[in-house]
Amino acid sequence: MLVRVGLRNVLTALAVAAVMASTFTAPPVAAQPKDVKVAVIAPLSGPWARQGKLMQMGAEMAIDEINDSGGIKALGGARLKLILADAGDSAEKAKNAAQRILAQEPDLVGGTGAWLSSFTLAVTEITERAGVPMLTLSYSDAITERGFHYVFQTSPTGGTQAKVALPTLLQLAEKATGKKPKTVGIIMDNTAAPVSFAKPMREGGLQALGLELVVDEVFTPPLADATALVQKVRRARPELMLLLPTNVPDDKLILEKFNEFKLGQGRVPLIANGAHIGSPELLKNVGPELLEGLMFIVANWGVKGQEAIIERFKKRTGEPWITQDSMTAYGDMWILKEALERAGVADSRKVAEAMRSLDLKDGPAALAFPGGVKFEANGRRAGAHLVIVQWQKGQAVTVYPTELALAPPIWPKQQP
Amino acid sequence: MARRRPPYRELTAIAGIVGAFVVVLLLVDSAYYRLILTLVVIWATLGLAWNMLSGYGGLISFGHAAFFGLGAYTVTLAMVKLDITPWLGIPMGVVVGMVAGLLVGLPTFRLRGHYFGLAMLAYPLAMLYVFEWLGYQEVTLPMKREQPAAWMQFSDPRVHALLGLGLMVLALLASLAVERSRFGRALRAIKQNEAAAEAAGIDTWRWKMPAMVLSAGFAAAAGGLYAVVLLIVTPPTVFGVLVSAQALIVCLFGGVGTLWGPVIGAAILVPLAEILHGELGSVVPGIQGVVYGLAIIGIILLAPEGIFWRLRDRFFARAPEVPKLAPAPDPPVALARPHHELLVLEGVSRAFGGLRAIDNVSLAVEEGTVHGIIGPNGAGKTTLFNVINGFLQPDSGTIRFDGRDIVGLRPNRICRAGIGRTFQIVRAFPRMTVLENVTTGAYVATPDDREAERLALWAIDRVGLSRREAGQMAAGLTMRQLRLLELARAVAARPRLLLLDEILAGLGHAELEEVVEAIRRIARGGTTVLIIEHTMHAMVRLADRLTVLDHGALIADGPPAEVTRDAAVIEAYLGRKWVQRAADRVA
Repeated sequence: MLVRVGLRNVLTALAVAAVMASTFTAPPVAAQPKDVKVAVIAPLSGPWARQGKLMQMGAEMAIDEINDSGGIKALGGARLKLILADAGDSAEKAKNAAQRILAQEPDLVGGTGAWLSSFTLAVTEITERAGVPMLTLSYSDAITERGFHYVFQTSPTGGTQAKVALPTLLQLAEKATGKKPKTVGIIMDNTAAPVSFAKPMREGGLQALGLELVVDEVFTPPLADATALVQKVRRARPELMLLLPTNVPDDKLILEKFNEFKLGQGRVPLIANGAHIGSPELLKNVGPELLEGLMFIVANWGVKGQEAIIERFKKRTGEPWITQDSMTAYGDMWILKEALERAGVADSRKVAEAMRSLDLKDGPAALAFPGGVKFEANGRRAGAHLVIVQWQKGQAVTVYPTELALAPPIWPKQQP
Repeated sequence: MARRRPPYRELTAIAGIVGAFVVVLLLVDSAYYRLILTLVVIWATLGLAWNMLSGYGGLISFGHAAFFGLGAYTVTLAMVKLDITPWLGIPMGVVVGMVAGLLVGLPTFRLRGHYFGLAMLAYPLAMLYVFEWLGYQEVTLPMKREQPAAWMQFSDPRVHALLGLGLMVLALLASLAVERSRFGRALRAIKQNEAAAEAAGIDTWRWKMPAMVLSAGFAAAAGGLYAVVLLIVTPPTVFGVLVSAQALIVCLFGGVGTLWGPVIGAAILVPLAEILHGELGSVVPGIQGVVYGLAIIGIILLAPEGIFWRLRDRFFARAPEVPKLAPAPDPPVALARPHHELLVLEGVSRAFGGLRAIDNVSLAVEEGTVHGIIGPNGAGKTTLFNVINGFLQPDSGTIRFDGRDIVGLRPNRICRAGIGRTFQIVRAFPRMTVLENVTTGAYVATPDDREAERLALWAIDRVGLSRREAGQMAAGLTMRQLRLLELARAVAARPRLLLLDEILAGLGHAELEEVVEAIRRIARGGTTVLIIEHTMHAMVRLADRLTVLDHGALIADGPPAEVTRDAAVIEAYLGRKWVQRAADRVA
């Protein structure tokens, strides 16, 4: 339909629109305080995009919950606003992203990022100098060894994990089977994470625990064929097998071979490291049968007490369960919220100061980080401990610590 | 061009770049844009480093990340382990990079073309694993709160940008010096035709190695500064394939083989990638890579040699100047020693598999003569030349030049000993002027660049090319001009013996006369000429003596009048029935 519109009419319409727009978008300052900006700097493109996306989901859920329950009360109900930055696929891009949002959003009060340790190291060089507190789930010990004041590490560090993982597992095994394992095997690739994880074990860690290393295989990814590796496992029959590849295709090859050699489904207990082993993608790729019984060690996972959060997350996103990435980002937003309440001002340095004195034992933040939220002088979360998760019937469920477990561990009896 | 005037135009342009950069740096007030400016100059420096070896020398390297990464790790580890400031760490990195360049060059220069490029690809990948194995997965440069400037940690990030700018200017000046000197022209000659360069007396190895070392040094410096700016070093960020690719991309995009190319490439691509990443990365993650790729594809299609060359050809195309230099004087005509045998071959054989390309050939070329070698196609004439000038080794036999055994010498050595040659298929350097082409040939005769140019002008006069022609690009020359160019390039070195390989082939009658006349002038000037032809016609008039080859074997040798009546020669050329006919006619 063609309508002839006069210039006058257009001008009138524009004027009306302008008046209306100003009434809706610029309400009196007293009625609605300025939004408080918080950042998620995470890889949203490139090989780690999925993890970044999971972080984004967790952070968005927390922010919606905070805003829906009245925002930051100490700031007159100010709403949180999420600033997303794509850390891309390299440390350079991650650093640029951090520099960019700090330049574009000078009133940023804090954030979380950047998933990969090397990205986090680069990003925090920028945020440290700008005095903006950064929370991170990255494991690297170096992150909190630089004497920085504005970085807060919520995960147990790689060094800590390597130290406590094995004793924890042995404890779990003993509890489940009634006897302590004596032999152990390692299959790993030679990338950063497994290398630093296995190093202290080889250098006396195993011996101190009375374990004999009977299979020790290191490969360069990608793996072409796992037959030779798994054959060695069949011959040596370790009572505990550490499986430390770092990508899904290698995981799959090795797990299939374990099954083919009738070592799968927990006949040789398999323990992996890192959150990727618990990703829904792995389930899709490998299938529940191959994964059954596989355990892995992570810094955070859905645990008892978080059922409500997990339920809300599943409903909201359609994800089958919550991973470390989402749960941590969720909790990080709540930590920032609590710090803002205590600081009473949307100033990044004041917020950081408030974070240093936090000691949360309940509420969503403490729920998201079992053990509570309290930071040591170097920025590490006090009492951050490991979570052990096991694949059970196509679900990755927490089995340790016992008081937080959603299911008891299945620890198959060793066949003679 | 090695014009003697200082490079005012280029230096002004560099000053302009510096001025523009500083103005932009002062104008932008965001730390983010300053960081991007810093990255522009760092990647431009890496591009310039790559260009020194691969742009000028044509030895495409896919592995400059090796040097970049070594520079970065030297700075980082020196600071972390030895408490050495990057002010010293970067120079140390440069030394490490240069040594690495030398060590990499030694084995890798044995390979040519794509094989060289692929082998280079392996070095950074190997180093990536080595550094991971050493346990340097993530190394950070510790923050220095005391005296940060002493550790290159400035509260004002503009200082980093200026440091990068300084480094880039150094790289530009080094490139300029290379481009304008014999070094640069030798590299360009190698790039355009390594065999021709070698035959023109250029010791390709001697030029490739310094190019590699220089290039590696600048790449390491860029890597060192990159570590200082990024403050964290991981093997993938400094040894990764993307780093090598970045060096290549900024050059290909901006223009290969010119010092402006990498600067243009980095100035456009680095901000473009970053803007795309910033604007689109959080909206449609990943789309920035697609747009970036499309932009590169578009430019490469529109300007295959890079933006610089496209713009220059479009807007700044100008006739290259020919310097106003007096040509070198004629050399004194050495009195040819009568019947002195300048080149002597004894029992020379060379086989390719079962084919005996040259079979037990003995031959003597007398000083001061024009000696022709004729024979039908496939008679082994060109193989004989290749054996004489060192491209091929004889299976047996001796070759003596003025009494000295030259078997086993590299072609450039044989050229230096006084044997020049031309090629059957003209091997000019297309992106160089006629004068520049000829000048590369004169380098053998003199260490002085200006003198080389005077020799080149002399040679150009000698073969009968005009001064206007001397300024033309070799790419647009006619066959006559190309033949004369080849002749001039060989003559410019003032060889004692000149090997001419079918220089008359494919020429029309008038052109042929001109080239024949040029050869005569050269011979009268005291140069002994050994010439291959398969047409007998011109040879009979030109040569003092003829040698006839057939199926690799010598079938006749003597004065032209005698040889042309030889029954075996007629049979080889025309078939058996002509032998009888020729005999009848004589009778």
